[in-house]
Amino acid sequence: MKKILLDYASAFAYTITGLIFGLAFFLLFINFYHMQELNTKVDMTAYNQNNKALVEEKLETIRNNINVYNQSTYNGSLNIYGLNTVQIKLQNCLEILESKDMMKYFELGEVGINDSYNFSLDFKNKILNDCLVMQIKSLFNTDTVATLPNFYIIKPYVDLDLDTLLGSTDYLQSNIENSDHYYFSTDNNKTNFFDLTEDSYSSVMNNYQNSLDLMVEISNWYRSIVIGG
Amino acid sequence: MKKIFNGLFYFFKFILLIAAFGLTLFILIRMNVRLEKNIMGVLPEFIPFILLLIVFIINMAFKQVGVTKNLFYNLTCCLAFTTIICVALRAIFDTNMVLNEKYGYGIDFNFFDNFIAYIKIMLYGLLIADILLMFREKDKDNVKSKKLKGA
Repeated sequence: MKKILLDYASAFAYTITGLIFGLAFFLLFINFYHMQELNTKVDMTAYNQNNKALVEEKLETIRNNINVYNQSTYNGSLNIYGLNTVQIKLQNCLEILESKDMMKYFELGEVGINDSYNFSLDFKNKILNDCLVMQIKSLFNTDTVATLPNFYIIKPYVDLDLDTLLGSTDYLQSNIENSDHYYFSTDNNKTNFFDLTEDSYSSVMNNYQNSLDLMVEISNWYRSIVIGG
Repeated sequence: MKKIFNGLFYFFKFILLIAAFGLTLFILIRMNVRLEKNIMGVLPEFIPFILLLIVFIINMAFKQVGVTKNLFYNLTCCLAFTTIICVALRAIFDTNMVLNEKYGYGIDFNFFDNFIAYIKIMLYGLLIADILLMFREKDKDNVKSKKLKGA
């Protein structure tokens, strides 16, 4: 009886050891795989160069539109306090958009997971918070600006765009933060679904371009009312 | 050949256990300091390490060949401890994990925290296996010695 029990104990011990062996081997393997996966660099040179050209073009349009108005030479009938406010706010936004902190991303050749994450954070802090919320959103809630022509035509469009952009990178940020949890993703599903580094970077870049498009629209509106009024 | 490998794994088993214990201790204490919690709170996490070390010392002291000369068991121990060390080192040095840098503590607690359950599973598993193997071989030794006495 004792011998049978001891044989069972032995079998049980080897089973446990085997299971631990399997678990340890699996965890070690998945860690190496995950480490390699996070260390992947994506060549974004051509993509960044194309985007840089687009951004520079849009920034130039915004700059030209803003400079149409000059308080000392303006002879129109519109409220100059409103025009000044729009010009200052757009100017502040332009400075943020073309700051070194943002433009550095267009110089990147190979992009890693950290670059995508930092890009999403900088986009959120600088473009969304400092520019779109602090300048543009506050601009469209200013009484003097509300007296300018077509204000109520462009305001709903700006509000809608701002709402869309403000929540646009939240999921990317949490997605990258959650990449610290390891999991198996095969090359096949990476190709078909979502490549964390490349797709996150591209998504932030698209949102960056959308923010610029919004700025261009606002500056076009500003130009049209300055010239028309 | 088997003897050489077994000796190697048996030796590394102790070194790796101490290294895994040290790294886990370092990370968990840092984690508690960050949260301003009492250090006593993390002590239960180290119980399996200490128990396993005691059992290994007992194996060595009483020359329990069922464990000490068990190549598979010693290899599994080495593999499990290597995994713990690998994860601990990644939590400290792998800067590609964004939370490592985000919170500025130099350790990705979030990543390591996920692994604590696996550490416990592996360590308690090895502990139970060790105890079971210990008894089995003790019995076999007794049978052998009785046979020799009878002869």
